[in-house]
Amino acid sequence: MIQQFLDPAVLASINGLDLIAKTVVNGFVAGLHRSPDFGFSQEFAEYRAYAEGDDLRHVDWNVFARTDRCFLKRYRGETNTQILVLLDTSASMSYGSHPVNKMDYSRFLASALCYMANLQRDAAGLIIFDDDVDNYIPPSTRQGQIFRLLHAIEKAEVGTHTDFSKPFVHFQNFLHRKGLVVVLSDFYADPEVIVKTIEPLRFKGNEVILFHILDPQELAPKFREPMLLVDLEEPANSLEVSPEYARNEYRHKIDAHIEALRSKAKATGFDYFLMNTARPLDEGLREYLSIRQGRM
Amino acid sequence: MGFLTPWFLGGLLAVGLPIWLHLLRKHKTTPTPFSSLMFFEQRTQSSIKHRRLRYLILFALRTLLIVLIVLAFAHPYVQQKNLPLTRSGEITVVAIDNSLSMRAGDRLAQAKNAAKSMIGGLRGGERGQVIAFGSRVQVMSEITDDHSTLNAGVDAIEPSDARTSYAELTRSLRSIAQAAKMPLDVHLYSDMQQTGMPANFNDLKLNADVHLVPHAIDSKPAPNFVVENVVAPRRVYDAKKQRVLVTVAGFCNPKGTRRVTLMLNQREIESKTLDVPAGGRAQVEFTSLDVPFGMNKGAVKIDSADSLPADDTFYFSVERVDPQHALFVHEADNMRGLFYFQTALDASGQSAFALDPATTEQTANMSPAKYAFVVLSDATNISPAFENQLRQYVRGGGSVFIALGRHATYGSKVPIIDARVLGNRYSSRENERFQTAAWLDSGHPALLTDSRWDDVQFYDTIRIDPGKASVIAKLADGSPLLLDQQMGEGHVMVFTSTLDNLENDFPKHNSFVPFIERSARYLGHLNNDPPSVTVGAFEDLRSSKEKGAAVEVLDPKGGRALSLEEATRAQNIQFTEAGFYEIHRPNGRGEVVAVNADRRESDLTPVPTDTLKLWQNTAQGAASSGGTTEGEQKPLSLWWYVMLAVLALAVAESLLGNRHLSVDKEAA
Repeated sequence: MIQQFLDPAVLASINGLDLIAKTVVNGFVAGLHRSPDFGFSQEFAEYRAYAEGDDLRHVDWNVFARTDRCFLKRYRGETNTQILVLLDTSASMSYGSHPVNKMDYSRFLASALCYMANLQRDAAGLIIFDDDVDNYIPPSTRQGQIFRLLHAIEKAEVGTHTDFSKPFVHFQNFLHRKGLVVVLSDFYADPEVIVKTIEPLRFKGNEVILFHILDPQELAPKFREPMLLVDLEEPANSLEVSPEYARNEYRHKIDAHIEALRSKAKATGFDYFLMNTARPLDEGLREYLSIRQGRM
Repeated sequence: MGFLTPWFLGGLLAVGLPIWLHLLRKHKTTPTPFSSLMFFEQRTQSSIKHRRLRYLILFALRTLLIVLIVLAFAHPYVQQKNLPLTRSGEITVVAIDNSLSMRAGDRLAQAKNAAKSMIGGLRGGERGQVIAFGSRVQVMSEITDDHSTLNAGVDAIEPSDARTSYAELTRSLRSIAQAAKMPLDVHLYSDMQQTGMPANFNDLKLNADVHLVPHAIDSKPAPNFVVENVVAPRRVYDAKKQRVLVTVAGFCNPKGTRRVTLMLNQREIESKTLDVPAGGRAQVEFTSLDVPFGMNKGAVKIDSADSLPADDTFYFSVERVDPQHALFVHEADNMRGLFYFQTALDASGQSAFALDPATTEQTANMSPAKYAFVVLSDATNISPAFENQLRQYVRGGGSVFIALGRHATYGSKVPIIDARVLGNRYSSRENERFQTAAWLDSGHPALLTDSRWDDVQFYDTIRIDPGKASVIAKLADGSPLLLDQQMGEGHVMVFTSTLDNLENDFPKHNSFVPFIERSARYLGHLNNDPPSVTVGAFEDLRSSKEKGAAVEVLDPKGGRALSLEEATRAQNIQFTEAGFYEIHRPNGRGEVVAVNADRRESDLTPVPTDTLKLWQNTAQGAASSGGTTEGEQKPLSLWWYVMLAVLALAVAESLLGNRHLSVDKEAA
């Protein structure tokens, strides 16, 4: 039942990214048990009797004054994690073989991630890019950050072709703190080049998650008859493709590409996750949370 | 193999549809956007490859399906040779002709022997039936497998004087076949007389399951002389005035001289020789017929000495009677009507009636009962007593002829029938010279079809109201000229003019004599029976008033023709033998009816062989149209087989097409 709210096709019928993000996150979170870990957030959790070795900074002196006993005041976990979502808006992201194209799916995912980060009081930021940086919202925990993010995501439009090198070089300058970098892209480029381009982020101590957004038709194209395909990023580039080729050789190539990207990403310390736009968003969120958990 | 509707083969052009669909349809290369072509290779796709047979089997099925549908519409057939029909359970019918012509020589005996020989050849248990036929069919044995019964049936066949009727035989065979519901194997033993064939060949049409095997008996044309016709009076009033005209015919004969003898009551009266031309006719006349009073049996014989003596005698009956008396009532001052009426009766040739004239005054004490009929010629002022007697006379069966003249205008009614007199119509007074008869009822016995009154001029007529009387002649102005009214058993005829050649000129016209003669016969109840009838004719035996009274009929051999029950109940009798039948009626009156065989039987010319074959083929023709015949090529329609193949192919195409579709769906 809850999974239904995470279905991309259902989400597509909801107006407003904030509502979508809220629906996704609430639906997702409601299916999880609250984390048993306690952190440093401002949200009060409970009192616990002082035990030897506990940090005195957490002793509630007011309680000690009233009761003459030492109690520790516990809060829900809080980190100062900074999350930066990199949303690829190249032309290839506008492809979709079903009502939710890759761009929409990426929007949902990006907005859900931002919303969740906002819930966690993490500083969330956003970079929208194609062959250059289109929009940049620095990570922040300020009031209204989530709306700025959602607004930017909603306004993001499909650009031209992807070029990782230029935007990545560009936004490396903005990153001053270590954090979590989430890249949402279809990664139509040489895996070697992609990894090489993103590698510096990892070297600076960032956790990098690559969400490889692909349409099912891209993963396993099934044509009934020969098709004349036009490249979305290069409209002048067109090819007549036979169903047999799409069924056999293309699949081998895309699988090899995915595998190469996955292996190179893993080798570099990236987290790689393949997102099929026909599948619910929770897989992506779970991936995020597991990594977020690892940072606490 | 052929096609009943070959023009449907044009539909084979539709085969082009699957060929176009599978082979020639151009591959649509609608540009489809795709996210990236980095994993596709620039490879030139062969256009032939696009157009290749994607689904060879499906294509073959669809092509074959269209071809078969077109073939089904073209109605293919193959010529099939039918195996000879095995006629199981058939009945052998032995039909033997026993008409008059079979009396020639020993034809009937030959036919019976041949039939017995055939019956002897029947296998044990094989069923058969014997019938004899002339103008009617007689069943001589029931359908049985007892061959002795069949032989007895053949033995029981007697020669008859009937006429051959193959049409009647055919009708009976059809009935037997329908009743038995089994095929018939008919063996026909006959002299195959040409004159036995019906005018309409359709009457010979046999059922499909009737197999006719004709056995011609002595069917060579044989010379035969015959007394073809005798013209003699039925009644004789004056023997000196009578004559007998005899026609002798020869069939297939050489020219010859024949002696013709007139016999009366088995006594030879007179003989004459006659030269008969080859294959022709000759006539001889006997000028007197001095017969005694009462019924007489007359005959004309020839000494032909041919193979068929049965037609050498022609029978006729003659009745010698006195003329009947008729009362002619006229005004004393007008004898003209009597003159013209008497003259007309005398001119008719036979003095069947003797007129007794009387004036109106003389009728006062007369009784009309003894007269054959009464004529009132412009004599309407008869005494009421006589008028009353006339009424009773008419009701009892008498007849009165009333001619209206100027005396009728003195009274207001026509005597006896009481029809109202409206006055007279004098043509000169009305600026007309005369009137003519405009309409005659040609069906009335007094006015037959040859009656022509067109030129008769009527100057003065009496106009009357017809009342219940039927008008049988009208004047040009539509007023009645001649009326007939039935009263009781008798008739009253009213002529609205006179018979005296004064108020019309009718007595001077040719039509006057036959009119008077016919009217007299009609009013005097003088029937016009012929002196002889043919075998097969019917005779009424009793009127409705004589129901239950016994009628005695003696056949030519002197035996009783009717059983006791039939004698009291039979309404009529059919004459089956040539000769004299004596009929004693309930009213005591005796009659002699001369019966002769149909003279067409005398012509022994056989039916041409081709005609016989045609007759046999009527059964085979019916069989070929509705059933099967031996060794015949019959078109066997392949329509059903083709349609079954179409159905099977359609199912296969559907299954295969669905399979491909499901593959495509899965691929999509």
